Amino acid sequence: MYRSIALAAVLVCAAGAAFAQGGKVTVVTSFSKDVTDPIKKAFEKAVPGSTLEVQNRNTNAGVKFLEETKANNQVDLFWASAPDAFEVLKGKKLLAPYKPKATGIPEKVGSYPINDKDGFYVGFAASGYGIMWNERYVKANKLPTPKEWQDLAQAPYFDHVSISAPSRSGTTHLTIETILQGEGWAKGWRTTKEISGNLRQVTDRSFGVPENVNSGQVGYGIVIDFFAFSSQGAGFPVKFVYPSVTTLVPANVGVVANAPNKAGAEAFIEFLLSTTGQETLLEPSIRRLPVRPEVYAKAPADYPNPFKDKKLQGLLTFNADLSEKRNQAVDVLFDQLITFQLEPLKAATKSLHELDAALAKKPNPQASALAKEARDLIAAMPITDTEAAAPEMHAAFTGGKQKTARQAELEQQWSAFAKEKYAAAKAKADEGLKLAR
Amino acid sequence: MAKAVAIEIEGVDLSYGSTHVLKNIDLSIRPGELFAFLGPSGCGKTTLLRLIAGFAQAQRGSVKLDGQDVAALPPWKRDVGMVFQSYALWPHMTVAKNVAFGLEERRLPKAEIDRRVAQALDLVGLGQYAQRRPAQLSGGQQQRVAVARTIAIEPKVLLLDEPLSNLDAKMRVSVRRDLRALQQRLGLTSIFVTHDQEEANTICDRIAVMEAGTIRQVGTPMELYEKPANLFVASFLGSANILDASAGVPVPPGQKLVFRPQHASLAPAEGATMSGPVTHREFLGATVRYGVKIGGSEILVDTPFQSGAELRDVGATVGVALPPQRMLYLPA
Amino acid sequence: MALALSPSTIRSPGAALVALGIAAFLVLFLVVPVAAVVYVAFTEKGGGGFTLVNFLDFANTDLFVRSFWNSMYVSAMTVVGASVLALPLAYLTTRFEFRGSALVQTLGFLPLIMPPFVGAVAMQLLFGRNGTVNLLLDDWFGVKVGFMEGLNGVIFLQAIHYFPFILVNLSAALRNIDRSMEEAAQNLGSQGLRLFRRIALPLALPGYVAGASLVFVKVFDDVASPLLLNVKEMMAPQAYLRITSIGIDDPMGYVIAVVLIVIAVVTMWISARALKNRDYATTQRGGGGLARRKLSPRQSALAYVLVLFLLALVLAPHVGLLLLSFATIWSFSPLPDAYTLAHYARVLGDSSVYIGNTILYSGLAAAIDVVLGGAIAYLVLRTRLPARGALDWGAGAALAVPGVVLGIGYLRAFYGVKLPDGTPLAALWIMIVLALAIRRLPYALRAAYAALQQLSITLEEAAENLGATKSRTVRRIVVPLITGGLLAGFVTSFATAAVELSAVLMLVQNNSDAPLSYGLYVLMQTPAGRGPGAAMGVIAVIIVAACMALSQIAAGRAQRSREMEI
Repeated sequence: MYRSIALAAVLVCAAGAAFAQGGKVTVVTSFSKDVTDPIKKAFEKAVPGSTLEVQNRNTNAGVKFLEETKANNQVDLFWASAPDAFEVLKGKKLLAPYKPKATGIPEKVGSYPINDKDGFYVGFAASGYGIMWNERYVKANKLPTPKEWQDLAQAPYFDHVSISAPSRSGTTHLTIETILQGEGWAKGWRTTKEISGNLRQVTDRSFGVPENVNSGQVGYGIVIDFFAFSSQGAGFPVKFVYPSVTTLVPANVGVVANAPNKAGAEAFIEFLLSTTGQETLLEPSIRRLPVRPEVYAKAPADYPNPFKDKKLQGLLTFNADLSEKRNQAVDVLFDQLITFQLEPLKAATKSLHELDAALAKKPNPQASALAKEARDLIAAMPITDTEAAAPEMHAAFTGGKQKTARQAELEQQWSAFAKEKYAAAKAKADEGLKLAR
Repeated sequence: MAKAVAIEIEGVDLSYGSTHVLKNIDLSIRPGELFAFLGPSGCGKTTLLRLIAGFAQAQRGSVKLDGQDVAALPPWKRDVGMVFQSYALWPHMTVAKNVAFGLEERRLPKAEIDRRVAQALDLVGLGQYAQRRPAQLSGGQQQRVAVARTIAIEPKVLLLDEPLSNLDAKMRVSVRRDLRALQQRLGLTSIFVTHDQEEANTICDRIAVMEAGTIRQVGTPMELYEKPANLFVASFLGSANILDASAGVPVPPGQKLVFRPQHASLAPAEGATMSGPVTHREFLGATVRYGVKIGGSEILVDTPFQSGAELRDVGATVGVALPPQRMLYLPA
Repeated sequence: MALALSPSTIRSPGAALVALGIAAFLVLFLVVPVAAVVYVAFTEKGGGGFTLVNFLDFANTDLFVRSFWNSMYVSAMTVVGASVLALPLAYLTTRFEFRGSALVQTLGFLPLIMPPFVGAVAMQLLFGRNGTVNLLLDDWFGVKVGFMEGLNGVIFLQAIHYFPFILVNLSAALRNIDRSMEEAAQNLGSQGLRLFRRIALPLALPGYVAGASLVFVKVFDDVASPLLLNVKEMMAPQAYLRITSIGIDDPMGYVIAVVLIVIAVVTMWISARALKNRDYATTQRGGGGLARRKLSPRQSALAYVLVLFLLALVLAPHVGLLLLSFATIWSFSPLPDAYTLAHYARVLGDSSVYIGNTILYSGLAAAIDVVLGGAIAYLVLRTRLPARGALDWGAGAALAVPGVVLGIGYLRAFYGVKLPDGTPLAALWIMIVLALAIRRLPYALRAAYAALQQLSITLEEAAENLGATKSRTVRRIVVPLITGGLLAGFVTSFATAAVELSAVLMLVQNNSDAPLSYGLYVLMQTPAGRGPGAAMGVIAVIIVAACMALSQIAAGRAQRSREMEI
């Protein structure tokens, strides 16, 4: 205890000495006020004379903002969860490399490297993805407690699940990408669509999901862990579980290219990695997993510890390269196949659930075969993983020269594909239901 | 044509807050009569009209149409046609639509409505304007549309609220004749509200002269003129000279001497009971009007104008002669 | 002696200068930023030349076509819903002796001042699938009603939010109907609803159409409410989602923006056409004035029940917001678990900066709007300047520009422009003010029109006849006489600017320059921020309402002193 304080003091002194010129540090972040306020307070205390100017924008808007304003950049730091966003910024040369001086931080959290291999951004906290639910809702509707992604695809969950669109939420994008990487393209999409058949809604903000779970408008939400932890911290009757196919991904911070206050930006990174900075992450309103292992000693009981928990260690290795290549394809596929075709997908799913129930009472091989056909129709994908990651596909979304088609054309093709398949699936399921009854 | 009905008003009192607008009004209007409420503005005549139409509620008293008390009836069940001062023609409807309105509200068959609209418009001579909008008509035409709209429903009685006030002087004369002729043809009990004694005198059978919420006198125009019951009526209808004892004439205490200018004549100053200097002289065409100062008051004397007749100059002292039968003594 | 010229025929160089100034302002802060963004709609992605292929793509994409019809349906049904809410309130409070009319009119304006996000959260907690009403219904009768589901939910929310536009315009029109118009109909046997339908409503039609067309356009262009209910298949949300998620270079978002602007302009044009020659001018000479009708005790009781029910409905979001701001935890229960003042304590420190900024920005924006709106109305109605109508349409078109398009446009157009010390122009808080002013200009413009139309031109002619110059006539006669109307415009612009988010979100550069709506947005993205967010929302509503009340009192005072002079 004393030792860690002393250590913190030394680190803070070191940081303070090295970057005494603090001044105004401007940061664009997707993190909420609950997260940024305590850290701002602690930072301004640790580095006297500095002020942290926080501009809150969602991840995508933040990236767009830096892009739009790069000619006359006024921002020092970009600070957000999704590594993808940093990859995008790196690719557009909007970040400046920086190697932190802080020591005692492992190479990896779970199986994910904490820092960017090229040194453009630095991980300061880890987050995993999972399922949160409202206990009152679940109890009132007599619903089960989920453990795995696949659970959410079961009949009782129909119309009770919420997710945010991956195109709108960096964290959901990672969740979907994790499922795709963990289970493979075809099976991963099958799982995703089976879960999606039970969706109540697809929100356009990450926070829309915990918001609705917290207020009891939906039962379950697919979220990043800290949403659930900080909701618990705020007193909401919610629970959270990590499924076995998940990944721990660092939340990152990076110095923006041509930062007006580069020294201040670096001081902030050093602070985040210091013991004081890391301990701030344990606050009830923040609740992220620190990357400095010794900080967990101060964590509340049953706080997940990725450096100790068996479950969180053997996780899959997230392939950020692959994720970046098919980034937009995955987003657009999700939107066209699921977000904007939710009604037909749900209709087909509902029929399938009824068919399953009928089959459970009275088996019927012919109907079972129809159910399988219907499931295959739902799971069908308009493109393969190779096509999704191909440069031509990327060009369709970014306006490159060698593109397969205009984005709007692709979208129409994919949504028409999904609409037709879902309608066919519903027809099969209904046919099976007639046989099974 | 429907039978003409009588209107009986008994003991009506009406106040708005602390303003006592109608005070103990009793009035009996005969079937088929064209009756005027005459008085200065603010005397309560329009309120009394609105009371009959159902737009005002009396605190006390009753209004009977054809012997039936209408107090409980809302305006739309009274069958009392009212022509508003502003005409209140609806600008979003054609003339025909305006006239048809009341018939449509009575759910009459389409053919019947068309027939009666045409009839009403013909009656006021506007048959060819049926498809115009009110804004496209002149003031006089608008007024006739308002009348047609009202008589189309064949009301029990017809109420006219200052129907001529929005017309120019020349129009007024011809429109009032038309109104009278129409009323006679329909044989409809009608009430005509006006502040203009000439309008009331020329076309109405009887007049109620009102002042400050009370009826001061009821009678035919001639009765009111010849035998006013009080000073207000005397002075409100036509010109009247009003003198008291201070003018040096014999007037019983508590009364005043009243006479019309044309009943007096100029006489030599010597031996006259009333004499004084001429204060002004006006040439009115058929008559010459002199102002004569008698004691503390000024009176008017009208003398017939004859070509070449001698005129008195301002400042000359003249006597005023008055036949005794023209002297009227009224309570002060 | 020269022939007297009516003011309308005089060409004054001063007026031309003012017109040029306004035109420059509109071009600089509306046309240029919007064009900077919208031209993308006419280029192929990746920097091609001019093309219309994107519009073809729009027509060939089921999603967009579906969204288009959904938006049409929702906008039209919202007008119906808003009318149902507004008609009884407007009719009862203007044509009858109804105690509390002024209060009803004031409260009826409140729904327009609904801070973003918190309002929808509060509505979900009251009317959502597991909100108060449905939990109770389920408990008592075992049924749930989908108030907030899908398109119907959007209609429900929007009708409540925007009905004040109809209420305000319709009330003004109803007040101008002469009493004898209704009495004549009663006299001819009409009463009750038929009387309203056949006489009062047609006569108030110009006011109603003005309000209804505003509602239609606002709903068509509104992003926030549908998205908060997770309805994405509508035009404006599609534009917003594409621009903010697929990318700033994606043409389809701007194609939709172009469609939005076109729909808005067409709607305004149609409503203007429909009202041509239908200005059933106001009280007539010799008319009965504006006296109100009396209600019988039974009617009166019924009216109060109806008014209270409607007010409860339209103020439900505010009631929910208030509850939420005092709630500890409110989750899957009819009412919060317990109450606390802690949320207010938490935001009190933070919000003083936000409150100051909000009042400053909205106040400045509304002031700009009133000046511009008044000037444009004067130029259009009282001068014969060529192309003066263009100013009118230009300012009116601002209604249709989605906030996010304007925000991005400002960044595009002004971020590269540097001040001497290197700060980009777009980073100055004054840009937020200008964006708000442009967004809310149509409201002030409308109010100025209405005020100036009721002002007889003879009053100005009299002043000029007595030797006042044009500018002095404007200053001494026109401005004092239309102050009331301008103030109404100020209040509408101010109140709605105070809760504007979409453009603000793009333009806020740092926290110390942020208005309340931004602070609220930031708070509402966190679990622990819900209560404080609601508290800040309540504070915002109170502040805006207080400012409105103050200006209303000031207007009343000005009105009274003027009446005494006359």
